[in-house]
Amino acid sequence: MKQFISFVIKEAKHIIRDKRTMLMLFGMPTAMMLLFGFAITNDVRNVRTIIVMSNADYATQEVVDRLGASEYFTISKMVATPSEAEKAIQNQQADMAIVFPHDFASRRTGLQFIVDGADPNMAQQWSTYANAVITNPKGGVTNTKLLYNPQMKSTYNFVPAIMGMLLMLICAMMTSISIVREKEKGTMEVLLVSPTQPLMIIIAKVIPYLILAFLILIIILLMSVFLFGVPVQGSLFWIFSISTLYILLALSLGLLISNIAKTQLVALLMSAMVLLMPIIMLSGMVFPVESMPQILQYVSAVIPTRYYIIAMRKLMIMGVGIEQVLNETLILAGMLIVLLSLSLAMFKKRLE
Amino acid sequence: MNAIEVNNISKHYGKVKALQNVSFSVGEGEIFGLIGPDGAGKTSMYRILCSLLLPNEGSASVCGYDVVSGMKEVRKRVGYMPGRFSLYQDLTVEENLKFFATLFNTTVEENYDSIKAIYSQIERFKTRRAGALSGGMKQKLALCCALVHKPQVLFLDEPTTGVDPVSRKEFWEILAHLKERNITIIASTPYIDEVQKCERVGFLSDGILKGVGTPDAILDTFKDIFNPPPIEHKQRDDTEKETENVIEVEHLVKAFGSFHAVDDISFTVKKGEIFGFLGANGAGKTTAMHMLTGLNQPTSGTGRVVGFDIRTQYEQIKQHIGYMSQKFSLYEDLTVAENIRLFAGIYGMQDDDIRHKTDDLLQRLKFSEHRNSLVSELPLGWKQKLAFSVSIFHNPGIVFLDEPTGGVDPATRRQFWELIYDAAERGITVFVTTHYMDEAEYCDRISIMVDGKIKALGTPDELKRKLKQPDMDHVFTYLARQAVRSSD
Repeated sequence: MKQFISFVIKEAKHIIRDKRTMLMLFGMPTAMMLLFGFAITNDVRNVRTIIVMSNADYATQEVVDRLGASEYFTISKMVATPSEAEKAIQNQQADMAIVFPHDFASRRTGLQFIVDGADPNMAQQWSTYANAVITNPKGGVTNTKLLYNPQMKSTYNFVPAIMGMLLMLICAMMTSISIVREKEKGTMEVLLVSPTQPLMIIIAKVIPYLILAFLILIIILLMSVFLFGVPVQGSLFWIFSISTLYILLALSLGLLISNIAKTQLVALLMSAMVLLMPIIMLSGMVFPVESMPQILQYVSAVIPTRYYIIAMRKLMIMGVGIEQVLNETLILAGMLIVLLSLSLAMFKKRLE
Repeated sequence: MNAIEVNNISKHYGKVKALQNVSFSVGEGEIFGLIGPDGAGKTSMYRILCSLLLPNEGSASVCGYDVVSGMKEVRKRVGYMPGRFSLYQDLTVEENLKFFATLFNTTVEENYDSIKAIYSQIERFKTRRAGALSGGMKQKLALCCALVHKPQVLFLDEPTTGVDPVSRKEFWEILAHLKERNITIIASTPYIDEVQKCERVGFLSDGILKGVGTPDAILDTFKDIFNPPPIEHKQRDDTEKETENVIEVEHLVKAFGSFHAVDDISFTVKKGEIFGFLGANGAGKTTAMHMLTGLNQPTSGTGRVVGFDIRTQYEQIKQHIGYMSQKFSLYEDLTVAENIRLFAGIYGMQDDDIRHKTDDLLQRLKFSEHRNSLVSELPLGWKQKLAFSVSIFHNPGIVFLDEPTGGVDPATRRQFWELIYDAAERGITVFVTTHYMDEAEYCDRISIMVDGKIKALGTPDELKRKLKQPDMDHVFTYLARQAVRSSD
């Protein structure tokens, strides 16, 4: 036990004395949260809109007012013909145009949207929003009620995603690098030639990163509640339990990488390329899994982050009970068992 | 019972045969030297004996336990110092020691007696980070860490490479001390004086154990390798003609805060001279060399190198000097010809000229068939020769060599020095630092730095006469032992 503690202390000193590691550990979560919170957002806001109408009757005017009053749209111009509107969009003076037919007041249909489709996702959203604003209060066929996120803030969506990405990256990258560093510097040889159990060396190396991961988790949660006003609906106990499961999984992945990589550079590249890219692209963090081609959906099925993000979205934002995320929890637990036993089996007590 | 038994051990990595049918035994309490050139298979042997590596064939036992089946027992009984520096650089001296003590289920206090002799020398630095220690200090600390659990067998893989002669002597005095406590020691070393301190040595070359016996017997049997005939070199006669000075330095000082790394040195080096620049680790050699090569600005004093002022014209200096260090020499993933092409290009040589001189050089070195081999495939001695040739390829006025021959056997070093003489005869001045005192004898003149000052300057014979010492080794030790400043 004494050996174990002195190991953990040694490891903690390595981390604390390396300013770059510390900066990366705590700077990255903060920077990412701020970036995603304030800069990178796909919320619909202030869309520059051109109104095309040939006769300004009362009903049309009322709809236009409603559009202008909403925070989503800013009416930038009124023109008479659709071609003028198209020209304005082409000249980057507007994002979309809404064309009212001359008999809109009586028919209440026949609207046309002309949208800048350079970013198809955003174009889609603008039309949906415009549609909702125009039809909603009076005589609309549909009545949308947004559960859990009535203001449609993207912050709600990205907080769980950032948690999934950062925890994986930090745990896997940091542990693999710290183990490979000992191999590179030759200290691993000395450790192995001591009577210490190799398993103990590994567990002791992992403990400080486990604690760090929890700190980062707490930082993210505090930032999201107090800075972005994202409510944490579900039980904290379960959020932390599933996060622990996920952190352990990330740590065993790091261990696995350290078994394969021979230099710190390789360990870094492997964790960055092999982990980061699929997590961002395929975990459902940025692009919804459902809209991927079938084959990529299969690939995404083995990415643990996908299940963690789903579980966190359900627990934090929807506030459902643990029974609703049982599937995800079981999948994560299964993956943990496989990865952990694989990496422990591969850990070498000897050199090659 | 023998402490170590090795029976027909073979080990290969893919096609490379690291060890072939090696057998020897070491008695309890013996100091056994495992010697041989770089890449001979020494490290593989150590790793097998420490149970870190599985042999492909044969068996070995340490303290009566088989290194394969008795892994746990072996690991309890051995201390191992790998060739690479194996401490935690960001932990302090004390933290390193405590950590390794706990690792072996013991405490520093419990075993203080066994390490006292060594640890007392570094104890005053106990709050310093291991990474900030000098080479000699690091080795002493690493030895403390390997000894703190009272091992029965100690494996030392080139523990003194790159360490100055004084620290090396102290290190071996410690080993002799350990022998009295009946600790079996297996050590490897490139230094002949250290080989002679072993009781028996085994000579390993290309994975084959060529012979085992007393140091004298082995050194005699393989004298072509260990004791090559001295090189013919006529001492320069400078009294007759007045030659120009390539280096002129007056009252040069480099201070880091209140610490004077280089403390008021003055000397001159003449054209075509081979100037040995000696000093213990931490005496200020590297700092002085950095100022001469224009990498660092002096705090005060003046200096001229190849006619240019080291304060203001350092860019011109860089154009007219050659530089070779042990650490950086050539790009391993480029071929021989590509390396030459690259460095010649850096110094602005013309393409025609380069092609011409490359053919010449490769022929002279008998490297022509390796023209397109990757540098990483060459043996260390070849790389060093090539690196030296590349550093003087552009015909510089002076070439600076920073410990150019670390880690190679005496025969290879001798060939290297033939190249140096060759260059000197062509009028290239050579400024060289080394820890090998036999190489110091090869120089025309030498200076010995102690505590940032030049304590002695002259031809090797002059120094020996003046200080009444039999050889350069004694001269160096005599002077370096006067150091007040700790070698840090």
